[in-house]
Amino acid sequence: MACDRKMIYLSSFLLIGTGGIIPLFLMHRFSLMRLAGPAGIGSGCIVGFVCSLTDLLAATTRTVSWAWLGWLPLSFRIDVLSSFFLVPIFLIGLAAAVYSYHYLDDRARTLRTAVHSFFLSLLILSMALVVIADSMISFVLAWEVMSVASAALILYNYGEKANRRAAYRYFIFSQGGGLFVLAAFGLLFSASGSFSLAAPAALPQDARLAIFLLGLIGFGSKAGIMPLHFWLPYAHPAAPSHVSALMSGVMIKIGIYGILRLYQCVAPDAHIVGPLLIILGAFSGTVGVLYALGQHDLKRLLAYHSVENIGIILVGIGVGILGISAQRPFIALFGLTGGLLHVWNHALFKSLLFMGAGNVLHGVGTVNMNRLGGLMKNMPKTGILFLVGSLAICGLPPLNGFISEFFIFVAGLNGTGAGLEPMPFLFIVLAVLSLAVIGGLAVACFTKVVGVVFLGAPRTEAALHAHECRWTMIVPMICIGAVCLAIGLFPGIFSMPAVMAAGGIMGGDAPDITAILDLSRSISLAGGGFLLFLGLLIYLRRLLYRSRQVAHAPTWGCGFTAPTARMQYTSSSYARSILQFYRPFTRIREEYREIESVLPPPAAYRSHLVDRMEDWGDRYIGRNIERFCSRLRFIQHGFIQFYIAYIVVALIVLLLYQLVR
Amino acid sequence: MMTPFLGAIFLFFASLFLAPFLMGVILKVKAFFGGKKGPSLLIKYHTLAKLLRKGSVYSRSTTFIFGLGPLVSLAASLTGLAFLPIAGQNPVFSFPGDVVFVWYLFGLARFFVAAAALDTASPFEGMGAAREVFFGLLTEAAIFLVFLQFAFLSGQYSLASFLAGEGAINIFSREGFLLVLIVPAIFFVMLTENARVPVDDPATHLELTMIHEVMILDHSGPDLAIMEAAVFARMFFYAAFIADLLLPGGFGPGMRILLFFLLLLLIYLAIGVLESITARLKMDQVPKFILTSFALAFFAIILSLEVTP
Repeated sequence: MACDRKMIYLSSFLLIGTGGIIPLFLMHRFSLMRLAGPAGIGSGCIVGFVCSLTDLLAATTRTVSWAWLGWLPLSFRIDVLSSFFLVPIFLIGLAAAVYSYHYLDDRARTLRTAVHSFFLSLLILSMALVVIADSMISFVLAWEVMSVASAALILYNYGEKANRRAAYRYFIFSQGGGLFVLAAFGLLFSASGSFSLAAPAALPQDARLAIFLLGLIGFGSKAGIMPLHFWLPYAHPAAPSHVSALMSGVMIKIGIYGILRLYQCVAPDAHIVGPLLIILGAFSGTVGVLYALGQHDLKRLLAYHSVENIGIILVGIGVGILGISAQRPFIALFGLTGGLLHVWNHALFKSLLFMGAGNVLHGVGTVNMNRLGGLMKNMPKTGILFLVGSLAICGLPPLNGFISEFFIFVAGLNGTGAGLEPMPFLFIVLAVLSLAVIGGLAVACFTKVVGVVFLGAPRTEAALHAHECRWTMIVPMICIGAVCLAIGLFPGIFSMPAVMAAGGIMGGDAPDITAILDLSRSISLAGGGFLLFLGLLIYLRRLLYRSRQVAHAPTWGCGFTAPTARMQYTSSSYARSILQFYRPFTRIREEYREIESVLPPPAAYRSHLVDRMEDWGDRYIGRNIERFCSRLRFIQHGFIQFYIAYIVVALIVLLLYQLVR
Repeated sequence: MMTPFLGAIFLFFASLFLAPFLMGVILKVKAFFGGKKGPSLLIKYHTLAKLLRKGSVYSRSTTFIFGLGPLVSLAASLTGLAFLPIAGQNPVFSFPGDVVFVWYLFGLARFFVAAAALDTASPFEGMGAAREVFFGLLTEAAIFLVFLQFAFLSGQYSLASFLAGEGAINIFSREGFLLVLIVPAIFFVMLTENARVPVDDPATHLELTMIHEVMILDHSGPDLAIMEAAVFARMFFYAAFIADLLLPGGFGPGMRILLFFLLLLLIYLAIGVLESITARLKMDQVPKFILTSFALAFFAIILSLEVTP
């Protein structure tokens, strides 16, 4: 039976791969090619999804391995943590593949669409392989394929310079991050002497921490933890929307997976790791959402929200690890469960939102929020689904985002009353406070998005004539939205996988889950009760209005009689006072051409939020690296005979070193 | 003999019924300070009845969100009230962590009210919404600090465990001195969340200076009545929260309920007096005002590190 299951996994991978390769041979038959990609990838993802979900629920572990080139072990192992991450990979992969059918419908771009299918399947496959890798070799191979495939997907619209720069920047980041991962693995290999990612026997405490910190930098740059996030706001607007959904919803979580796997593997000092993750998470979360608030480009805004949500996940995991170090299983379980459940939740609502942004791009032609408005009237399905995603990402009940944040809050509030030592206590206070601030800022940000993009009056002609998208772009969103609501209303069932994965990280006996089940039941009742209440009120209001006179008129302009759509509050004005309040972290750069003469030229105003982290990184790190490297440029002169000489010299030096040793 | 659950439901409806009356008290106090006779104490009931009898005018730019704003706000206020212990009695519903649920429901209400305001395409309403979400996020930080404090003191984290039963936190208990800092903090949050002086002036006539009032400019008839009812219930929620903290223990239930409503009356009187004798703050001073309550709660946390619960 177990063997069969492995074959099913293999067939799922093969189907996904076929979905990527077949389109390359169907270039002359556009409609067939367009169908082949999503069909192959989608069916493979369905098989993989069912398989990994059942494996996850049964908590089975499977291993496969063979030696490559005689001595490099390529081994794969599916345990609970792997299946936990496999589920969103296949689910969002499926949604993205279906969505791409109508999203990429440009006949003139046949080749590009075929290549896109290839890299999409490669990305899904490599992500799946990363999370099931059991040896460093297979992990790093899959990791690098994942980076290259996603960079190629960002290049879909390579005609624009900004997109090429975005892909280049992402590539540098992923390679730099990859180097840190390699460094961590190298250190681990030299300490343990094996390529295995299972827990090594004996490592000195310092080595454990050093390996973990190196890995944290490498995986953190993929996950988009705050000071290492600058590739995200460029890459996501450049990529096609379903690719953004997949990258933001799933791929950056692979960074989180890496951190967790490494934590499990090297077991660094939890007294340091817990607070460290809380600090990083609180910082990424707060500043990430703050920068999101200042954006005018919808997809860029969503990219910064990924930074925020990675922050929330890290806070949850940090609180959990703090609980482990303080030997409070309750805090550990709720913190880790909250953080892990947020991995799923964010995958769901973020892909929902990115697909919504894709619909806006498709229906209007721009995602610049100051050129949109009033889309709810022409694109009601997209509008309502985007609203659902917005409520979920703000962590508002009764949707799924609330559940994971609630678990982290419960861990934190329990931690405050549990008589911890002063230091852990203060970190718990920091965690809870940062979650509260993030929640408030997210509400500010998404009232802005929903209000400026979907409500009000259209600001441009294009927004006025927006059209709703075709069914393949709506159906995946409906499914994801339904799952968001289902998790929000029935958290008990859906949080069990997260509980199991959390139990794996905590180690020891199976955790006591009665508290989680009790709380989940209460949340279901409270959320359902609220919805019932709301439904009753809606019904009463309808009854009340049945006999009332209802008129329609222009908006009350407070005495002003000639309002235009351009006078509405814009995304910049809505966010301005909040951004000014957080001044040390935010700086608004403004260009303003004032009216000076009697017959003035057209006035103009432009504002732009400066990402201080990026600014400082550029100024103090980027430039110094550039200066240093420009000194070394003389090595790269283009004469091939010298390059051969380098190789020869290097070989001789290495040989001599071996001899001397 | 009433069962506790029926008693809680009775108190819930009594609160709902009393909330408009207490708002009338504020108006009466303000009229008194202005040397006027003022409207009847029952004015708010009249207002609600009048609005419910009317029809509505809708802006042409609005969608279904516009009607949903007041409804979600009212549903959130009522659900929140169902979790609040009134007069130190057990509430209708309670579960560990319900504080987070209730405040996030208030967040949901804020989301929909702000979205409804933006739905009208009015620049004034957009401005009001921007201010509302800004001040809301600051109060949320302050109030969660208060909850951390309460969780620290009681070891539990539901409104019922904070405010009802044996281990209820109140100003006369051993840790009561911390509440000297906490109660003003919650009072400031109440003034901000319910758009009272010195943050917002419900009586102002200039749209540019409004926060809450400007967001509901386009709501009319029953929609406006629903919105007003939500505000009354929210105001009652916060005032009752404070009254619970000030309620001395050691009386029978009947006496406690009587004392509680007296305290409640005192709090509304205090709001009326405050509104009569202070001017509202400049808009850029408001964040500092809210951060004062944050700072008070934070000092209380620092002090409480010395207290073993």
